[in-house]
Amino acid sequence: MNHFTNLLKTISCTAVVLYVLAINSRLHAQDMTAHEIINIMTETMNPDQSQGKMKMTIVTTSGQERTFEYETFSKNQGEKSLMKYVKPTRVKDQSILMLNNADDIWVYFPRTKRVRKLATHAKKQKVEGSDFSYEDMGASNTFIDEYDAIRQNDEKKEGRQCYKLELTRKSESSASYSRIVMWVEKEYMVPLVIDYYHEDDPKLWEKQLICSDIQLIDDIYTPMKFVMYNKLDNTQTSMEIIEVSYKIDLPDDLFTEQGMQK
Amino acid sequence: MKHLTLASCILLLATTVAYAQVDVYGYFEPQFSGMYYDSAFYQMNYNKLRIDFKSTAVKNIEFGANAIYLLYFGKKDWDILDFLPGHIVSMISPEMYPYYQLTFKDTLFLDNAYARINFRRLALTIGKQQISIGTGYFSNPTDILNTKDALDPTYEQPGHNAIRLDIYMGNRMNLMGLYTPIASDWENSGKLVRAKIGIGHFDFSVSGHEYQHTSTNFYTFQQIRERRMLIGADFVGELLGLGIWGEGIYNFIEDDDEDFYEFIVGTDYTFESGLYAMLEFHRNSLGKSDYQNYFLNDWMRFITGETKTISQDQMYGFIQYPLTDLISIGSSIIVSVSDKSVAFVPIINYSLFENVDLTLMGNFYVGEEGKTFSSSLGNGGFFRATVYF
Repeated sequence: MNHFTNLLKTISCTAVVLYVLAINSRLHAQDMTAHEIINIMTETMNPDQSQGKMKMTIVTTSGQERTFEYETFSKNQGEKSLMKYVKPTRVKDQSILMLNNADDIWVYFPRTKRVRKLATHAKKQKVEGSDFSYEDMGASNTFIDEYDAIRQNDEKKEGRQCYKLELTRKSESSASYSRIVMWVEKEYMVPLVIDYYHEDDPKLWEKQLICSDIQLIDDIYTPMKFVMYNKLDNTQTSMEIIEVSYKIDLPDDLFTEQGMQK
Repeated sequence: MKHLTLASCILLLATTVAYAQVDVYGYFEPQFSGMYYDSAFYQMNYNKLRIDFKSTAVKNIEFGANAIYLLYFGKKDWDILDFLPGHIVSMISPEMYPYYQLTFKDTLFLDNAYARINFRRLALTIGKQQISIGTGYFSNPTDILNTKDALDPTYEQPGHNAIRLDIYMGNRMNLMGLYTPIASDWENSGKLVRAKIGIGHFDFSVSGHEYQHTSTNFYTFQQIRERRMLIGADFVGELLGLGIWGEGIYNFIEDDDEDFYEFIVGTDYTFESGLYAMLEFHRNSLGKSDYQNYFLNDWMRFITGETKTISQDQMYGFIQYPLTDLISIGSSIIVSVSDKSVAFVPIINYSLFENVDLTLMGNFYVGEEGKTFSSSLGNGGFFRATVYF
């Protein structure tokens, strides 16, 4: 009996401590600024290093599906990234190197053994006809560097409690979207929904990204599936992580012209 | 016999696939070309099969090879004299006429076969391999190994026998050495050194290339060999939001001929609508500034690729627009500035299936007889399907 009372006391004490911590955490969460939320989210979504295999499926305007598989490597919180296509054979061994958060892009074409450097304006081009642009894929710091963020009232999205943030492009920025609205999941600090608005018209809804299937991989919460809906073209592209690891040590020479061709 | 040997090699390679870690892939490409010339319609077509083999079974070593089988059909026999200006043809001795007959023969050949050995900071590639140098889109002055077809500049180039060494010296810095044993001796074989560095949004390269150039005297069909030394540089980057690039060379010729220079500069931009636009200017001091001075050797060296252009100044324009997510339309406009003739090259690309691309391309010439793009050369185009496997 005494033992049971002690156990109850222990449970009660633990509950009180957890409750206090939860209140504290909630109070802190209530206090978090849009800037802090964006920073934590960017850090979560861009681990120091990563290596993985992705599958990208494009649903075209005619309803046809196009599937690509590629390997991805990234370093320095996504500042350097490399994509190498594995499938289909039409693009096999083609690779895309993005440095300085996709400010510098090189594409390697294996059929001609030619490496071509793309200028910044090419960041707006679609990657292999998908609904993701080079900027969407490679610029890890965009939300912090290119936009001013305001926190709005928290909302439930996809059945989860989220922070709602509104991002407005800085006047000096050349980012491709004039306005972005995003919902960041409170527990995992990953975005669940991101709405992108047209470069010239902040009211024109251009794209929507939905992230789902969040899993804990190497101690990092990772959305395993992303779907980008193009609201203007009525097309969609989904990306699925087939495998990913973060506890790795990638050599710097992987992110070079040599690395693209290996 | 040669075909049989190659076919046996391919068969042997194919059978080893089951036992080794060899990737086999490639494409099948039928192309139907038509041309309206001298009040008649001609068609010349081909079926092309390319089979690639690639193995990385041995650590740090990549083996790659590809064989190409080309089967021509339609009009295979052509007379080059039909396409030369009348006053040029009249200067050719009739007994030389048979030399101007051109027949497209079915062919099977090993286009590339190389081994690439990768170390941490260097890579050694030995064998027949593709070599692409330079930043230009329609033409590459620094690349003396390949001559691009300005009507179809992104099409793959043939392999070259070479030993290539790439040394990666650090972040965006590398050095390339290339030895192309074209001639029978070391002295006359090609030797290229190229250094590349990335600074900011720019990549810069400088190169030196010593090589033997072969040109033909088309009055006698005798070949003339001369040693040349090329000093070149190229860059690619961006300025005021525009992509910019350029390439330039100066060629020192060992014998009595005059040295010459060549350069190309270009810019491009992608508009918000997805419209892509590009413009290049190309000067080749070997080309002629007055089309009245185009002689037989000028025409024939241009047609056979011994020289890159016949006229001195060229302007290339290219636009492309993604009509849908599967169809893009565009056009090249090639202007021979020196002789004021133009070629329009409209193009439609359609991604029919995941591994099937269709291309429809036309070529329409606007210019007086005797000019680079004379309307008397005929107008035409092709339809090409590429099926990857």
